[in-house]
Amino acid sequence: MAWRLSRRAAIGTATIGASLLAWWLLTAVTGIVGPQRFPSPAETWAALAQLWDPGYAGGRLPQQVYHSLRLVLLSFLAASAIGVPLGMAMGLSRRFEAFINPTFLLLRPIPPLAWIPLAIVWFGLGDGGKIFTICLAAFVPATINAYVGVRNIDPIFLAAARVHGASSAQLVRDVILPGALPLIFTGLRLSLQASWTTLVAAELVGAFFGLGRVLNVAYQDIFPGMILVGMVLVSLAGAATTMALAMVERRAIPWRAPL
Amino acid sequence: MSGISFKGVTKRFGGRDGEVLAIDRVDLEIADKEFVAICGPSGCGKTTLMRMAAGLDFPSEGTVAVGGKAVRGPGPDRAVVFQQFALLPWKTVKENIGFGLKCRGVPAAEREREVMRYVELMGLTGHENAYPHQLSGGMQQRVAIARSSVLQPDVLLMDEPFGALDAQTRVVMQEELIHLARRNPRTVLFITHSVEEAVYLADRVVVMSRRPGRIQETIDIGATRRAENWEAQAIEDVMDRDSFIHFRTRIWKLLRHRDEAAAAAQRPARRA
Ligand SMILES: Nc1ncnc2c1ncn2[C@@H]1O[C@H](COP(=O)(O)OP(=O)(O)OP(=O)(O)O)[C@@H](O)[C@H]1O
Ligand SMILES: [Mg+2]
Repeated sequence: MAWRLSRRAAIGTATIGASLLAWWLLTAVTGIVGPQRFPSPAETWAALAQLWDPGYAGGRLPQQVYHSLRLVLLSFLAASAIGVPLGMAMGLSRRFEAFINPTFLLLRPIPPLAWIPLAIVWFGLGDGGKIFTICLAAFVPATINAYVGVRNIDPIFLAAARVHGASSAQLVRDVILPGALPLIFTGLRLSLQASWTTLVAAELVGAFFGLGRVLNVAYQDIFPGMILVGMVLVSLAGAATTMALAMVERRAIPWRAPL
Repeated sequence: MSGISFKGVTKRFGGRDGEVLAIDRVDLEIADKEFVAICGPSGCGKTTLMRMAAGLDFPSEGTVAVGGKAVRGPGPDRAVVFQQFALLPWKTVKENIGFGLKCRGVPAAEREREVMRYVELMGLTGHENAYPHQLSGGMQQRVAIARSSVLQPDVLLMDEPFGALDAQTRVVMQEELIHLARRNPRTVLFITHSVEEAVYLADRVVVMSRRPGRIQETIDIGATRRAENWEAQAIEDVMDRDSFIHFRTRIWKLLRHRDEAAAAAQRPARRA
């Protein structure tokens, strides 16, 4: 296990190291890729330093990251808190599913970004509209996977619990919830991903702060170094939240057999 | 008083491509504290019979009653050992065994005591905190047996409970089951593919025919067992007895004969 982990880490580090080296060679050393197309490491470093102090697009690096991270986490938590129970309820009750599903079917094909104009009309350019839009995007995978997770539980587990005396509440707590948990977490991972993509898109359309705002201003300034910094920050923040979620998942599902 | 009574029980399963007649007019009376084994070819409806006694399936026609009351669902008077074990993968060995006790509101200290007694009895010591996927098939099966036995139900429904055990463990478990049955007798419906196991354990062996499942014959073993005092003897000695061999051969013939008749009936149809 330790050996496998360290080997994986070594391969990952080597890949990233090789990419950085290639980047440096292509831009700074040989000049094959010109500075108008792709920034060199030095330019990127300078952009990063500028974002750190004095700041860029209305804020310094920690503020910009914090703003985006906060919006993502708030929206993701709200979407999970609504989506998971809703999906589970749909899985538990056919009647409830019949009641909700038509609405769901009609709303699903609308891309989340198509809600942005309406969100701006309703909530203005502040955080409310963004949370609304991100929630809409994030709550769909959370709901669907919780629903499928409940429906896919092997009936033999329900039978085993019932013949040994489980009440309805005990069935939900001891069989249905843990049985659906692996798929619920699959849904949450997709939700988190959807939260980040939607956030950046929403901030690109209109925002006062955030990584999307940094990208948007850098684009208007034609500032490739800063564009790259913005993209890398989104990628790092997204990876960090994904890893945190994976840690929660490992804690929540200790019985899972290693693949 | 917890006998099991099947009266004119027919069970059909509706499927997309027509109906399956799984059980065809079965009548079977199992007396209180009687041990009945069911033998029959795969797919003849043994599990279906057991699920109806458990209250997990319901007859299309006829009635199933336990303790004189029609079965409406699962109840605390019955416990089941499933053919597929059906352990909850997210619960440890201890939690699985104690599940029924917890559902009944048995206090934690008493539960722990009972669970550990069965952990020891089933030879699972050292694995009590393992998850099912970390156990071998035979160990999982022993957890499933413990989970039902710990409830001390009036009626025990066991679907091939020793199927995944190695020969030695199987013999130990069979002898243990006989001892348990003698110490506190209860009604047992025991499904098995092993003719020897059925003859060794049961008061009566019910032989079923191929689908649609019907009762072909019922063989009484209890009288002989008591007269020859099998329970005081080792299993290998019992299996050497003329009476045992006689029962075994008779059941084998019933199973074989039916199969040959069915095969013969199918042969011309295939050629056509
Ligand atoms: N839920 C179901 N839906 C449709 N058909 C079913 C269902 N359950 C059982 N059957 C059918 O009923 C018949 C009897 O099944 P059952 O599981 O009772 O057999 P069995 O005697 O226990 O077999 P085995 O020895 O292989 O366990 C089979 O033909 C099976 O296909
Ligand atoms: Mg079966």
